[in-house]
Amino acid sequence: MAREILHGVAVSAGISIGKAFFINRQSRRHIPRETIPASKVDYEIDRLTSASAQVREEFEAARAKVPEELREHGAIIDSHLMICQDPKLMLAAATRIRERGITAEWALEQSVESIAAAFSAIDDPYIRERIQDVRVVAERIMQRLLGGKDTSRALEERMVLMAHDLTPADTIELEQDKIMSFATCEGGKTSHTGILARSLQIPAIVGVEGLEETVRDGDLIIVDALRGRILIGPTEDELADYSDLKYQFENYQKSIVRQCKLPGETVDGFRLDIQANIELADELQSVLDNGGEGVGLYRTEYAFLNRKEAPSEEELYREYATIAERLAPAKVTLRTLDVGADKMMNTQEKLEEANPALGLRGIRYCLKNQELFRRQLRAILRASVHGNVAVMFPMISGIKEVRQARYQLNIVRQELDEAGIPYNPNMPVGIMIELPSAVMISETLAQEVDFFSIGTNDLIQYSLGIDRANKHVSYLYQPLHPAIVRSIKYVVDAAHRAGIEVSVCGEVASDPYCIPILMGMQIDAVSIAPQAIPGIKRIIRQVNMEECKQLLRDVLSHATVSKINRKVRQTIFKRFPEELTFFASLLDQDD
Amino acid sequence: MHNTISEHEGCFSAIICVRNELGLHARPAARIAQEAQKFQCELRLVVDDQEVDAKSILDILSLAAARGTELTLKGWGDDAKQALEHMAHVFQCTLGEGA
Repeated sequence: MAREILHGVAVSAGISIGKAFFINRQSRRHIPRETIPASKVDYEIDRLTSASAQVREEFEAARAKVPEELREHGAIIDSHLMICQDPKLMLAAATRIRERGITAEWALEQSVESIAAAFSAIDDPYIRERIQDVRVVAERIMQRLLGGKDTSRALEERMVLMAHDLTPADTIELEQDKIMSFATCEGGKTSHTGILARSLQIPAIVGVEGLEETVRDGDLIIVDALRGRILIGPTEDELADYSDLKYQFENYQKSIVRQCKLPGETVDGFRLDIQANIELADELQSVLDNGGEGVGLYRTEYAFLNRKEAPSEEELYREYATIAERLAPAKVTLRTLDVGADKMMNTQEKLEEANPALGLRGIRYCLKNQELFRRQLRAILRASVHGNVAVMFPMISGIKEVRQARYQLNIVRQELDEAGIPYNPNMPVGIMIELPSAVMISETLAQEVDFFSIGTNDLIQYSLGIDRANKHVSYLYQPLHPAIVRSIKYVVDAAHRAGIEVSVCGEVASDPYCIPILMGMQIDAVSIAPQAIPGIKRIIRQVNMEECKQLLRDVLSHATVSKINRKVRQTIFKRFPEELTFFASLLDQDD
Repeated sequence: MHNTISEHEGCFSAIICVRNELGLHARPAARIAQEAQKFQCELRLVVDDQEVDAKSILDILSLAAARGTELTLKGWGDDAKQALEHMAHVFQCTLGEGA
């Protein structure tokens, strides 16, 4: 056993074995909170000014070294440069020194805390998090004040970089070819560290609890950025096992990316459409790079969140038309506004619902706010002439909602006809199947629409009556619960009997343990995160339909989750012994 | 667009609409503060009842101006007119389509 194992969020997949190297460690020193005599005020202000000037020079030097392919991160250094000379930070700190007669360190600390307090009131989570940038910059100035050495220490050998948080400037100052991987205490999937690590293709784990307390400079560690673990002081056996795994993973990674443009077709010629789930037009490139064959789920709510007023029809139209054009002839399925529960709009009045997940969300919200709904539908219809566009309604619980939604769509069509604005009259209209009621009446629903998309994340939560973000019950989130497998099969069969297509979007579709079962049901398409596409395509390309059907029959014959999971694990593990070592499955939590 | 500059008792102002996808986030805010700092005059940004210093990236960020927000840029002082003309252009490039 390793002496210690820490857990975090893997943001860039891979494994590295090496010595830990902390940057910014010395800054975690005592800050002198002292008052000074009036005669020393100018001296303290000078110290502050020159410390900030030094840091500014460092940023400028780092900025000049940013390679072309990382220009995006250069812009982050720009914002750090601006923070470094911001009146809110520097002028305010100088004023504090003068007015309160305190040390430069203490004044700087107070200024940061006062900015932090102001930022904590901001609704937009992305902007709220920018306080981290302020802290990073202030930290550097603090180091200079405290007489810290230059952080741009050259790495002597390849190291695993550890930090409280890591900025692009930190990273670029270091020699990148000597960085094996990153691990930080702060950060989540969308932090700069994560983005940077992925673009540099360096394994990384962020949000590691206990990192600073446990790891020392020079410790031998294994960063397992496949499962989000850090092993400190590993045993000989662990080192051997992880060296093998690292080698295998790197080869595997190379081969799946090479093959990601090949179709998702089984050995015996059964073709599955592999589409992507995205929420921003910016993600299109990643869809194409990973071999996505269209967008099966475009989450349109992003444009509505974190803003004071809902977007205009024109704005939405431009967004949708751009995506449609860039993807054509591939399909883009636009899911209409799905807000409520965990995704509340600023414009949405405070509903104060006791159970928002069971409240006014998805299509229910749209049917209550028809003007807004029609605005979006008009934008979608207008965009439909720019490519292969389909529309999809979320949270359908019964026939009436489908008809009401279609009624709104017809009103918009008439308006466009009258105004002589072109649209595709045959634009496919589909619904999400994510409520147990929709499952049970899927046969009748199939008569009303052109396609189904099964949203497994919500279907699992509503069927099993659990919130998987709730740690007390998340263990009940079981994708292969017999009720779920049977529900999905029931919907797929109903769709096919009615002659319409059915796809599965949701994490189940990107889980290597689940995909063969879905294929056994003969689903037509999956829609998954772009990064998951190469791996899932690779599995599909190695199976044949008969074995998928057999696995499905086996699964359906078992009545308990544990039996099903055991059966699936045995079968899949026998079939894909190497590959599955690299995937974390939804089934893993059952262990 | 909305870049008409008007003058009232020595105070110049222009109305600007945030058009980029992510709103007034770190990158555009840095650029705006950077450009604003090139001028001597006072430059302020107003959204609803919030008024901030256009030379401070932190102030600009604190507006949390999302796409579609209308901002008023105000300037007074010696080079205010040139500043407004320059800044209106900067805003258009920074917050325009595809920025």
